[in-house]
Amino acid sequence: MAERRTRSAAGGRRQNTLELVVVALTLTLILTFAIFVDGFATPGNLRVVLSNSASLVMLACGMGVVIISRGLDLSLIAQMISGALVFSILVTEGVSAPLALLIAVAAMVLVGLINAWLIAYAEIPAMLATLASAMFISGLFRFAVLQGGFLLLLPKTDPVVVFLAGELLPGISMPVALMALTLLLTWVLLSQTTAGRTIYAMGDNFQAARLTGLQVRTVTIVIYVFAALTALMAGLVTSAASGAVDFRTVTHGSLLFDVILVVVLGGIPLRGGRGGVRNIIIGAALIATMRNGMTLMNFQTQSQDMLKGLVLLAAIIADNYVNPRDAETDTVGDL
Amino acid sequence: MTDHPIVSLRGVTKTYGGIDALADADFDLLQGEIHALVGENGAGKSTLCKLIAGVVTPSAGTISVDGAAVVFATPKDASRRGISMVYQETSLVPQLTVAQNIVLGRERTFNSVRRVRNAARQVLQGLNFKVDPSQLAGSLSAAKRQMVEIARAVLNEARVIIFDEPTAALTPEETDHLFDLMRSLKRKGVSMIFISHALEEALRHSDRITVLRNGRVMTSGPASSFDRSLLIQHMIGDELKEAGRPARAARPALSALPILQVENVRMGNMVNNMSFSVFPGEITGIAGLIGSGRSEVAKVIMGHTKRNFGGGRIWLDGREVRYRLPAQAVADGIAYVSEDRKLDGFFETMSAADNIGLGWLAKFGRRRLRTPLQTMRRLASEWERRLSIRATNLNQPVLSLSGGNQQKVVIAKSLVQNPRLVIFDEPTRGVDVGAIAEIRSIIRGFAESGAGVILISSYLPEILELSDRILVAKSGTIAAEFSRAEASAAKILHAAIH
Repeated sequence: MAERRTRSAAGGRRQNTLELVVVALTLTLILTFAIFVDGFATPGNLRVVLSNSASLVMLACGMGVVIISRGLDLSLIAQMISGALVFSILVTEGVSAPLALLIAVAAMVLVGLINAWLIAYAEIPAMLATLASAMFISGLFRFAVLQGGFLLLLPKTDPVVVFLAGELLPGISMPVALMALTLLLTWVLLSQTTAGRTIYAMGDNFQAARLTGLQVRTVTIVIYVFAALTALMAGLVTSAASGAVDFRTVTHGSLLFDVILVVVLGGIPLRGGRGGVRNIIIGAALIATMRNGMTLMNFQTQSQDMLKGLVLLAAIIADNYVNPRDAETDTVGDL
Repeated sequence: MTDHPIVSLRGVTKTYGGIDALADADFDLLQGEIHALVGENGAGKSTLCKLIAGVVTPSAGTISVDGAAVVFATPKDASRRGISMVYQETSLVPQLTVAQNIVLGRERTFNSVRRVRNAARQVLQGLNFKVDPSQLAGSLSAAKRQMVEIARAVLNEARVIIFDEPTAALTPEETDHLFDLMRSLKRKGVSMIFISHALEEALRHSDRITVLRNGRVMTSGPASSFDRSLLIQHMIGDELKEAGRPARAARPALSALPILQVENVRMGNMVNNMSFSVFPGEITGIAGLIGSGRSEVAKVIMGHTKRNFGGGRIWLDGREVRYRLPAQAVADGIAYVSEDRKLDGFFETMSAADNIGLGWLAKFGRRRLRTPLQTMRRLASEWERRLSIRATNLNQPVLSLSGGNQQKVVIAKSLVQNPRLVIFDEPTRGVDVGAIAEIRSIIRGFAESGAGVILISSYLPEILELSDRILVAKSGTIAAEFSRAEASAAKILHAAIH
C-alpha cells in the first residue's frame, strides 16, 4: 500500500570506519613488508606496484561510479578484454592506430549504451543485465572475432605496446599517467558535474531522484558508458603489459572480484550514495600492496586469493567491532 | 495494579550519530498498568520503546527488569524476558498464514499444519479475535494484522507489550476493540505501553502517562492528573500554544480555466475512473481514507507510476499531457511532495542544502554540464530563510533535522523548481506541532501567489482549514465535492465511508 506511515525519526547512520580500518591495515602491511621482505621498499618496486595496479585502478574507477549510483557492472572485465581485442585485431589487420582506437571507443560506447538501456529503459536489475551482457559480449567476441580461440598475441611492434611501454616523463610510465588521468576524470565526473550530483542522488534514493525530476535515464547512460570506457583503457594497458589479449581473464580470473573488493574495501558501500575517488585510492592501495608483497614472497595465485578473502572478512569484522551493530542497523545493512 | 515496577530505566541515553534521540531518561512501567507515551514526533517515544524491546541498545544508562539490570542485545533477548513489541508497520511475514506467523520463532523442528493451526486458533479464540488462522497474513487489514501480532505476543507469554501507535491505521470501532482487549490483558496482569498522537485516547484509556520532549522525559504521572491542555503544554513547552484554526473566507478562483484536468484516470485496482479539476490560486483538498487512491492518482499525474495504467486523460492548461517520467512533469512545472519523506522524499545521506540544490538542478540544471554549486548554495540558503528551516548550518545532514524541518526541506526542494502546480501528499505527517502551522501557511502562501495546489490529507481539520474546494476520494473515484462553505467534517466522513 502506497499510503503507509512514516517511521518516526532519529534513524542513525554509522560513521564510515571501514575506510580508517583499511588505511591502518595498509600502513601496517607496508611497514611489515618493508621490514621483512627484501626488495619491497625500493624505488624500483614502487614503480612496479604503480604500473601493475594501473588497470585495476581504472576498472575500480568505472565500478566505483557504477556502485555509487547503486548499480553493479559485472560485464566490466568482458568489456575490458573485448575492447582491447577490437583495437588489437584492427591494428594487426593494418588499420591505423588512431582509427582503430576510434572504432574501439565506439564499440565500447555501444556496449555501455546497451547496458544502460537494459537497466534504465527495460528496467532489468543492474546485476542481471550486466551478467547477461558479460556472457553475451565475451561469447560474441571470442567466437566471432577469435574463432573460438582465447588468446591474441600482440607483436612487439604493436603501436599500443610501443606507446604504453614508454614513459610520459622520466620515471612516470604511460600506464601510471593514464591511471592518474582516469582518477582525475572520475573526480571531475563525480564532484564537478551535474551528472555526478545525480549519481549520488540515485544511489541515495532512486525513487526520490526520479520523483524530483532528475534525469535518471540520461545519467544511467553516462554511468555505464563511462564504465565501459575505463574498461577499454584498462584493457589496452593490460594487453600492452602482457603482450596478449587473453580471454581467460574473463572466464577464470578473479579480476572482477578484485575490482569489487577495491571499491568495497575503500569504503564505498554496495548500497551506493556515498564515497568517491579517495575511497578508490584507499582500496586500491591495500590490494596493490598485498598483491606485490605476496608476489615478492612467492605466494601462489591460489593462496593470494585465499588471503584476499580473509582480508575482506577481517576488515569488515574489525569495522563491526569498532562500531557495533544493533538490530536496527542490522536490518538497514551497510555493505 | 501494584507499585512494583516491572521495567525501569535509569539515566538511559541513546545517541544516533551525535544526536541524542533519548537523553538521561528515567522511566518506570508498573505491573499491570496501561502506560501512554505522548510527545511530538522525534521526542524519543519510539526510541524509548525500542530500547525496552531490545531493538536498539542504550548508549548509556541501565535498563532493569524485575529489579535486576539487563542488557538486551536483540529483540529475542527481550522476548525471553516476556517483553514483546507490536510495531507500527507490522512485522508479520505476508507470505505466511496467520497461524504460521503466530508461532513464528517458536516452531518445533517438524511442524504439522494442523497442530500449528490449532495452537493459533486456541490463542485467537482466547482473545476473542475473529481471524481465520489459515488466511495469508498479507491479505489481512491493518487492524487484523495488529490482532495477529498481539496474539503472537500472548502466545509468547508476554508480561510487557509495547504498542507503537496502535490506533494510527484503525477505524473508531477497531480502536475501541483494541482498548477493550488491552483492558482484558491488564486484568491478567500484563503491563502495556502505548504510543499515541491522540491525546484523548491517552487520557481515556491509560492508567499513567509519560510526556517526552526533545528526547527528555518531561513528566510522568497518573492519567487523572492530566488534561488535554496540560499535556500539550508539556509536549511543546513554552514555545507556542496549540495552533489555532483561523476562519477564512472562500476565495474565488483567480481564473475560471483549470490548470489541471483529470478525466477518467484508471490505474490497477487503486484508481477507478477518477476525474477532477484544479484551478490556479486555490487549494483543492482531497480527503478520503487510506487506500482510496489519492497518492496513486498523484503519481500517475507525475508520470511516476506507469505500470497498470488503465487509461484516462490529463490536461495541463488545456494541453493534453501523458508523462512517462517525472522529469517531464517537473519540466512542465508540476511538483509532488511525497507523503513518505524517507521512502521517496529526500536524500538522507545529504545535507539540507544539497537536497534543495538537487531540486533546482533537476529543473534548471538539466542542460548544464558543470554543477553550478554557487547558485545551488545561494538558493538553498534563500529557501532555508523563506521557509525558516531551522538547522544549525546548511551542511547539517538532513536526517539529523527534526521531522518538521525535514519536511520543510522536502517542500523547499519542490518550490525551488518554481512550479505552477504542487501536489502536497500528507504534508504534515510526522511533523512536530510547531512546524505544522508553519507548513500550512507555506502552502496557503504558495496558493495565494497564483499557483495550483492539490492537498491530499487524511486529517480532516487540515483539509477543512486549508482547502478552498474539497474532493472526497472513495475506492479510487471522487465520491463527492464540497465548496469551502458547505463542507463539514461530518459530510466529508459520510462521503468517504458510505
